[in-house]
Amino acid sequence: MTQEQAGRVIPQQNEMAEMLFAATQEVFTSMLGSEIQQLSAPEAERSTPFDGVLSLIGLAGALIGNGALVCSAEMACDLSSRLLCAEVSGVDEQVLDAVGEITNMIVGGFKNLLEAHVGPLQMSIPSVIFGKNICTRDARADVVVAVRCAFPGGEFDLTVRLATARK
Amino acid sequence: MESYSGRRLNGVIKGNMRTEPPNLLIVDDSTAIRKILLRVLHQTGLELGQVLEAGDGKEALRLMEGRDISLVLSDINMPNMDGLELLRALRGSPQWHDLPVVMITTEGGQARVEEAIELGATSYVRKPFSADLLRDKLAALLSK
Repeated sequence: MTQEQAGRVIPQQNEMAEMLFAATQEVFTSMLGSEIQQLSAPEAERSTPFDGVLSLIGLAGALIGNGALVCSAEMACDLSSRLLCAEVSGVDEQVLDAVGEITNMIVGGFKNLLEAHVGPLQMSIPSVIFGKNICTRDARADVVVAVRCAFPGGEFDLTVRLATARK
Repeated sequence: MESYSGRRLNGVIKGNMRTEPPNLLIVDDSTAIRKILLRVLHQTGLELGQVLEAGDGKEALRLMEGRDISLVLSDINMPNMDGLELLRALRGSPQWHDLPVVMITTEGGQARVEEAIELGATSYVRKPFSADLLRDKLAALLSK
């Protein structure tokens, strides 16, 4: 359902999913030299613990929340290798930095598209977590957008959680 | 990629000829982006002097002390001192007032672009970028 906040129309969930995928596609085409496909939406809240990499970027403005990329360790290495045009043997600082930057460009592209509807938004710098038994939970989100993407290197999930900012 | 043209590159010039290859500074908190920009710079085929790297604006200002820098490529969103604060500091300094500064950032919103232009950015490139287009743009800037 379309929501209105301070005279601005917040896009519907499916429109935001399209924005998120479009931003991701641009990053993969321009920087990673690869096409991607959109698969069925994943579970947005990861109540089941998972192993791998979680990269998060905060968003703030008329809407507040975050954008996240979740992938396996192998996938993180593959993404890093494609971005840097260099072989990667395991998850290290360089890989986590590359995944953070890919998330930064995806969430940044999404933010630029969303700003046309909701006004200026601010982005945080990325936080990247690598480990086992990772769970995520959000206390409050009015809109949750989840997109699963596939490309020749495997699959990864993107999630954006947003709530209207309290005055 | 979005951009606009602006100031002329000030290299190390004696008379009408640049006599030494230009020293450049890349400012980005991501080592991945610094590596990509370094690769793109070398792909221009131009003779370069030192290419310095800084992780934020504060480190950039510290590295620039006592050096001849001909071009700065800077991100906007960085910890400690962001790219716009760095640009403001450079434009307020007699030494670096006219130094070409290219902003390379995910911040593609019109307000941020206008803010960077008003602060005196020479050029604005939005990430993600095409390496070919960026290479051509940097080659054009460095050849002036």
